Amino acid sequence: MRVKVNDRELELAPGTSVIDAVFAAGYDVPYFCSQAYMSPIGACRMCLARIGAPRKDRDGNWLVDDATGEPKVFFFPTMMATCTTVVMEGMVVDTLSKEVKDAQRGMVEFTLINHPLDCPVCDKGGACELQDRAYEYGTGRSRFVFDKRHQEKHHPLSELITLDRERCIHCKRCVRYFEEVPGDEVLDFIERGGHTYIGTLEEGLPSNFTGNITDICPVGALLDATSRFRGRNWEYDHTFTTSLDDASGSAIVIDARTGRIERIKSGINPEVNKSWIDDGIRFGHEYAGDPERLRRPLLRRGDAFEEASWDEAAAFISERLGGLSGKDVGIAIRADATLEEGVAARALAELIGTGQVDHAPRHGPSLVPVHGATLQDLATATAVIVLGDVTEELPALDLRIKDALKGVSPPPLFAHGVPIADLRLKERMPRARERLTVVAPYRVGLMQHAGRPVVVPVGGEAAWLQAMTDVANGTDPDEGALGMGRAEAQGLVRQWREASKAVMVVGGFVLASAKATDAAAALAKAVGASQLLVPPMANGRGLEITQVLPSHARYDYRGMLAGSAKALLLSGLDPARDPATAARLGACELLVVHDLFLTDTAKLAHVVLPGKSGYEKDGTTVSLEGRFLPVRAAPVDNGEAEDLTGVVKVLGEAFGKRLEGRSVRSARRVLRKELGFDPAELDRLGLLHDLPRRRSGVSVGPRQEATGAALRVPTMVRPEYLARNPRLRAALGDLALRLHPADAAGHDLHDGDEVRVPVDGAPWRLRIVLSEAVPRGVCLVPATPDAPVGRAHVALEQVVHERRALEVA
Amino acid sequence: MSTSRGHELPTVTPFFADKQDLLARILSRYPDYGRRSAVMPLLWEVQRAERHVSRARVDEIAEILGLHATEVKGVMSFYSTYHEHPVGAYHLQVCRTLSCSLAGADELAAFLEEELDLVNGETDAEGRFSLQFVECLGSCGTAPVLQVNDSYFERVSRSRCRALLDAMRRDALPAPTVERGGDNEVVRVEGADRSATGEAGEGDRA
Repeated sequence: MRVKVNDRELELAPGTSVIDAVFAAGYDVPYFCSQAYMSPIGACRMCLARIGAPRKDRDGNWLVDDATGEPKVFFFPTMMATCTTVVMEGMVVDTLSKEVKDAQRGMVEFTLINHPLDCPVCDKGGACELQDRAYEYGTGRSRFVFDKRHQEKHHPLSELITLDRERCIHCKRCVRYFEEVPGDEVLDFIERGGHTYIGTLEEGLPSNFTGNITDICPVGALLDATSRFRGRNWEYDHTFTTSLDDASGSAIVIDARTGRIERIKSGINPEVNKSWIDDGIRFGHEYAGDPERLRRPLLRRGDAFEEASWDEAAAFISERLGGLSGKDVGIAIRADATLEEGVAARALAELIGTGQVDHAPRHGPSLVPVHGATLQDLATATAVIVLGDVTEELPALDLRIKDALKGVSPPPLFAHGVPIADLRLKERMPRARERLTVVAPYRVGLMQHAGRPVVVPVGGEAAWLQAMTDVANGTDPDEGALGMGRAEAQGLVRQWREASKAVMVVGGFVLASAKATDAAAALAKAVGASQLLVPPMANGRGLEITQVLPSHARYDYRGMLAGSAKALLLSGLDPARDPATAARLGACELLVVHDLFLTDTAKLAHVVLPGKSGYEKDGTTVSLEGRFLPVRAAPVDNGEAEDLTGVVKVLGEAFGKRLEGRSVRSARRVLRKELGFDPAELDRLGLLHDLPRRRSGVSVGPRQEATGAALRVPTMVRPEYLARNPRLRAALGDLALRLHPADAAGHDLHDGDEVRVPVDGAPWRLRIVLSEAVPRGVCLVPATPDAPVGRAHVALEQVVHERRALEVA
Repeated sequence: MSTSRGHELPTVTPFFADKQDLLARILSRYPDYGRRSAVMPLLWEVQRAERHVSRARVDEIAEILGLHATEVKGVMSFYSTYHEHPVGAYHLQVCRTLSCSLAGADELAAFLEEELDLVNGETDAEGRFSLQFVECLGSCGTAPVLQVNDSYFERVSRSRCRALLDAMRRDALPAPTVERGGDNEVVRVEGADRSATGEAGEGDRA
């Protein structure tokens, strides 16, 4: 399509919106209601332009201007909203004439009629679309002499989001967002005309993706409650980085001010998270600024700790290690450590001469699938099989799955980025539910959108997968395990096979069992599906492919804790909740804990080293699809905290050695050789880089799989930090033990009770939540890095009430 | 969140529990993918029977249609004919747009306010009268117009209004003053009958 925008001609694909044509030509029109990745609706009327096109006569010939001999351009009688108009052959767009400028000025004046103009006290000030547009396109004065509309200024939509109803300009972005993106229609326009306001009847906005509306609000109406009144936009340092909260590799922007993280906004990575992040990533940052964070190394003197310098701590450690045999030392790092930290851990293990090095949490099976899928594959799949609760485990996947149900492929990018108005997207698009099959041991949120939800018994995934594989291979399945009739199962298998693209998402419940993982791979192979395996933490896949693994299965993290190591260096791990493990840790000859806080484990340590959170590290991470992404440090005041490369540096110096992982730079020299590219050169969008499955010959899985009728379930929030994230905690409540109401009755448990209950022998304080979504006889408790997703024993008969829920008289 | 305490909050009997036929008939008008369209007739059934749509009813309708309560509320609040709080047995709506205003609607409104001791939007303690000022009712030729429940009373002078109020206080609402013939007449008489006896019309009027 040849289009002329003002004086510039350009060639565009059919279906492009005129607003994108204008931006592609390098011109600008103001807009409020359009939003990348959402349907254009033409509500705000800001993007008006004069548009004309040539016409054909009855015989199909262009009507020609007699003077020039060119096709004559007929202008539309009124200004058109460019966001809802599609380009036509020979179209002429005028955005610069006086009529257009007058129309835009008029719209700015109209939009500002009821806007309070309280920019000096508004958190959006300085980064506000309305402010910018009023400045660029407005007259600077108002003729509106009447009283402005008065509405509620501080309406808490939830604990996380505050709504100022006076500032709202009714662009409908937030309302459309909830319908179009997560499909949770929890926000709507209430009343009409000049009285319209945004409201909800759903208390606390029950959705995992509410925070995104604060990013897309073009004014200061919807604000992130964690950052409200914390700083002005021009004071923030923006760090464009990758979230280490989960393995999605979601792009985020960390806004820090005077050494504190004040808020996290969504970054844009069109192939990963588009422009959306979940509430766990967005609001779960407050722990990084907690006043109890460790700022200096601590050395044990008798029963108490004393602050020490890094050199003193390193000297103490090297002296103690000198008296030990190298192979008795264990090194375990948390699986959200960067690749560079992994290299550092490996270098330290090599120096000490131990094979006991591991990352945790780590499932037995490999996280690199034989036939891997990417997130783009998932978003364009025509059949999706989900094994587990992805809405909690890796929420970014949930949104990409919903993209697949809409059947609109990711838009091609312009030089100005994502199309502002993608005319293929509509409000209330039909979703092809039949494409989605969700299998989980309890009713999960995504099942609402699934054509075929299947609730399997606890630990029943392997049997279900085996039975479906049998159906696919035409052998006799175990019909009891199918959860549906044989004919229906055959129909499902046929649908998966015939799909042009089938993707299987394998969550923690399956990966916790080697048998179930093999069964999932077999079913995927039988129906021609590619796989996405969900790592338990951010960089699980990266640490596996860079071989931060023990030399033998019995030297894995569990083995070290069970007694194979006499000295331990634990980075970010806190296994001391389990009393038996705590006793063994107390008896260690040397226990070094590298963490953010004085955890239960740190209290048993000889040396405690201050660690960095995922927001303060430089490094590289690998997402679940195998995408290498850069992690950049936000300027946060964390005292003398160091990541593991810093720890290895000082330890190496104490031994008089310059180790390979002594800094991010030296670790990257190693990585460059191993990976074939330089991680320092990664851009924000990352690099999909396929590395072969590189597992050493030994099986490094847990030797025995967990049993029990209860389940440790994934949560969107990080349970280990929930207590230090006050806003998130207020919004979502304390860590919960979820069970069926009928089961609760037998144990005198009521909704909201706080109880102390042993989970696999370790004491837990949990809040009781009764839910019909949980099958009878099953308890759901949160998974933590030290007790990952999988089966567990919950001793309900040993429940002790800490606090009973308020009685309703 | 459901609670399973021994002492439960009083629950409301679902409105459509004993009206399954009616519900099925309303839902049958819409294809399956357009089930949400039934939100208007369902709201109207509740409004007609209970003179308002309570939160419990909003939840019930949302449940029936598979929507969030917020969406039902969004639709309901868009129309001024649905009420969150019960209106009186006689819902008086005074048109104050141009024609009626020129013909004395403001004086009529002031008279009603004084006579009933109510302001715009209020219902009296007894639950007999509600007063509401509205925009054009489309009866400009016979201004000023007073709408009582579903019927129009036209050319309402002060004395006629006083007589009407007296009649309503005796629960003897007269047939509306008919100035225009045609099909309006039939509808108005039917509507008047219903509002006079205070009974809700049941069943499908389609």
